[in-house]
Amino acid sequence: MNVAVVRFPGSNCDLDVVKALEGTKGVRPKLVWHEHGGLDRFDAVVLPGGFSFGDYLRAGAIAARSRSVGEVRRLADRGVPIFGVCNGFQTLVEAGLLPGSLLRNSGLRFVCRWVTLRVENNRTPVTGRCSKGDLLRMPVAHGEGRFFLPSAELDSLKKDGRVVFRYAQSTERDGRGCNPNGSLDGIAGICNKEGNVVGMMPHPERAVDSLLDPEGRSDGSVIFQSLASALGGAS
Amino acid sequence: MIDAEWSEHCSYKSSKALLKTLPTSGSRVLLGPGYDAGVLDAGDGCVVSLHIESHNHPSAVDPYGGAATGIGGVLRDILSIGTRPIALIDVLRFGNIGESQRSQWLFRNVVRGIADYGNCVGVPTVAGEVEFDESFERNCLVDVACVGVGRRRDLVLAQAKNPGDIVVMAGGSTGRDGVRGATFASKSLARDADSERSSVQVPDPFMKKLLIDSILDALETGEVKGMKDLGGGGLSSALPEIASKGGTGVELDIRRLSLREPDVTPLEAMISESQERMLLVLDRVRHKKALSILRKYGVPATIIGHVTDDGDITVKDGADVVARLPADFLANPPLIPRDSRAPVRQSDWVEPESPPDLSKVLLSLLSSLNVGGRRWIYEQYDHEVGVRTVLKPGQADAALLKLPNGRLLAVKADGNSAASALDPYSGASGCVAEACRNVVSVGAEPVAMVDHLQFGDPGDARVYWGFEEAVRGVADYCRGVGIPVVGGKVSFYNEDQLTGRPIKPTPIALVAGLVDKDERFVGPALKGRGDRIVLIGKTSMELGGSAYHSTVFGVQNGVAPRPSPQEDRRTNSAVLRLIRAGLAESVHDCSKGGMAVALAETCMGRSIGAEVELQGAPATRMGPASLLFSESHGRYIVSVRKPNLSKAGGLLARARVPYAVVGTAGGRSLRISLRGRRLVDVDVAKIIEGKESSISRALGEEQ
Amino acid sequence: MIISNKAAAKDPEGDVIYQDLVKSRFSQAESVRVGKLLRFKVKAAGSLEAQRLVQTMCDELRIYNPAAHQCHVSPGRLSE
Repeated sequence: MNVAVVRFPGSNCDLDVVKALEGTKGVRPKLVWHEHGGLDRFDAVVLPGGFSFGDYLRAGAIAARSRSVGEVRRLADRGVPIFGVCNGFQTLVEAGLLPGSLLRNSGLRFVCRWVTLRVENNRTPVTGRCSKGDLLRMPVAHGEGRFFLPSAELDSLKKDGRVVFRYAQSTERDGRGCNPNGSLDGIAGICNKEGNVVGMMPHPERAVDSLLDPEGRSDGSVIFQSLASALGGAS
Repeated sequence: MIDAEWSEHCSYKSSKALLKTLPTSGSRVLLGPGYDAGVLDAGDGCVVSLHIESHNHPSAVDPYGGAATGIGGVLRDILSIGTRPIALIDVLRFGNIGESQRSQWLFRNVVRGIADYGNCVGVPTVAGEVEFDESFERNCLVDVACVGVGRRRDLVLAQAKNPGDIVVMAGGSTGRDGVRGATFASKSLARDADSERSSVQVPDPFMKKLLIDSILDALETGEVKGMKDLGGGGLSSALPEIASKGGTGVELDIRRLSLREPDVTPLEAMISESQERMLLVLDRVRHKKALSILRKYGVPATIIGHVTDDGDITVKDGADVVARLPADFLANPPLIPRDSRAPVRQSDWVEPESPPDLSKVLLSLLSSLNVGGRRWIYEQYDHEVGVRTVLKPGQADAALLKLPNGRLLAVKADGNSAASALDPYSGASGCVAEACRNVVSVGAEPVAMVDHLQFGDPGDARVYWGFEEAVRGVADYCRGVGIPVVGGKVSFYNEDQLTGRPIKPTPIALVAGLVDKDERFVGPALKGRGDRIVLIGKTSMELGGSAYHSTVFGVQNGVAPRPSPQEDRRTNSAVLRLIRAGLAESVHDCSKGGMAVALAETCMGRSIGAEVELQGAPATRMGPASLLFSESHGRYIVSVRKPNLSKAGGLLARARVPYAVVGTAGGRSLRISLRGRRLVDVDVAKIIEGKESSISRALGEEQ
Repeated sequence: MIISNKAAAKDPEGDVIYQDLVKSRFSQAESVRVGKLLRFKVKAAGSLEAQRLVQTMCDELRIYNPAAHQCHVSPGRLSE
């Protein structure tokens, strides 16, 4: 199955995502320059992290008006899996494909640290191989990741089960607070009503190689394996 | 043009002769000093490049932009030899941020500038080092080093070899920003830094990211014949260099440059230090592909001239020739001999009596600014992007990065201004020794270093003496341990204009090491309860410039630690053999704060305490406090599983390395005794709390 | 009070917003410069005094960095 990884000027996790997908059975990643289009030839689209267009104006704001994201919008309507990581999540939110906004971190500083995520919804294309309640370790690295939504909308987001990941406390070490950015309700990732568009702030592609994981795990792999399963139609 | 190119910043006219004494060759060295970056052979056709830069004066005026553009500069150096930047290392010096508002402002904004720039260009900041000392109150130091990786066959040199080839300016437009920056960097900071209007450059990490991506793509075409970054001195410095190195000349037309303002004069265009610009030499016939790649990324690129065979730099303004000078003449300024005079020192220092409660002393050291944890800083840096960072900031003594050939690269930078102020020879050789130990601690063999020597006004004979001593220290040590110096930088005129005092001499060493494929690497943290703790290396009474002296007594006096390259060579190789043989569970070196702080740090990672008895520790005669806090070089704390103890001991004995089994890991506190007398008893939780909170506390922030 | 990069200095953010967002859709637009706006509410006898007061605050408290930025203070009455 073919997965497009869209490269915007300023994307910097594009190659990391490609590498993670290359190591996943059943998917073939391809880097697509944002102006080139042709995304409808792919079975899924990933918007990787980075600083598209320098994060100028607002993170993801300029990318959200690009040709590629116009195509992504049509693909999303057709039910094609769309997955945004970090800046990709910010872009999906700016494009209105996911609700809410990603505001400046509550600490007012960029934060790069390993966090624990709890899987809240395992019916999305990137969590199908997880169980609800699974704890995954992976890093966050962002300056604008504080998820915010007015309370009425938040209630319906929660009621519909559209919270996909929450920051969670797993061990003693996380004692200083497990929510790295002040996100509302500890939300780290969400999906749209149909469940085919998913965005998350943490970086699963950085937790695929066990050599790079301080605990020698590779929890990010399950996200990409889930995507492969979803595309292959397997469970 | 001569003024800019012959400035201290570009020409090294006060330092070149001395720098020639550094050892620069080695079996892995492909490119040494004199190029934009040092290049090492990492095996299998893979090369590693290293470079260090500072941006001290601009950062003192505009800490955010100065620090950011400093990163921009060092990234260009790595890029310009055809390698991909994969890691940044920053070394910073500030005044006391616990007391000075100004230093807080400098500190916060320098860190933010590094974060915003490094994070945006997608190059992880993986390691660093910080010191706080009053002498940096108005002249903070911002050193950034960069590591690159590439293929040997893709290396590009800063030279224009073939007459007829075209010269292209790629990247940002040329404006007045940074005009006279190089001459500015070569002067002491003006009394009111705010009035310096033209020295500030605006960082644009987004353009830099596009420049990196597009140039790395363009290199694949084979059309790029030479490349040079535009840094200090701008075109007036870059053009003579590529022509002089290639044995050619260059003719360019100023009017072809894309100018930001219409009325920039030819002179200003030549010496402009506008950021995010690269000079490319492209094949005279085949250059379309490279240019179209730059266009795809939206990177402006204009042909501004061509390579000639007359050996001259010819600058035209339309049809008029406005300057013509021999390239060699510009690129090789006359050297200035400097006077040096050793300062008179009092030698009647008597070690003061230590406070009775050494547990309290240890805790105050751990939570002091110069020993405390750096999480506040490194969490603002993306240290993961690129998926190469195996050992991350705060996790180990050096950062460890995955190379494309399966080897691991260790990097760490160190300095010690307090020791260097007391004895620049020992301080400078000591920072090389410390960086080597840090690299060895993770299991890597040191293979090369770059240095950065930062001093006051070289016209002051005492300052220049310190510089001479530092160079001698680095040269002797590197020769002794067999490590080549593959690049470096000198920064003079670092002084506080208000008080007229120079900064403390600040030599910095960045050491790179390699871990072979499938070889083991380790961290500093004690791993298993019951593991035995081995202290390697001898402790001497060397408390001069120590964290203990400055924290407890507020003094910096006495004998600065002096490393022995011969002993260190033996010790380092023995420690590496312990790691490779799988005998070492953890390795941590002793540096700031001495053995006691090092022991406390080994307890932090997994919250495992230790019971230590120092009776048998190799040491000269001294009191208990001196034994705990002396900062002698050449020492490690290694933990070994009980069944492996005799093997490990045998290995160390055969290597003729002094060592002692001093304790056992376990419990929830660190207890240190000497001949049965308890010196220290501290909860590991308290150690962690003290160490982690030091910067936030100084800044008045909640944890 | 508006803080922006000095007139002769680059404004990368404004340039990108113009080049990659505005230019292709609105050909009438010629350039974009980005700044930061701070609205001060002060007690003062008149607008000139208010302007001077705010300028003093900005200078003394280093609200902008005179080495990198220009600051433009213009008085106005708050409608709210």
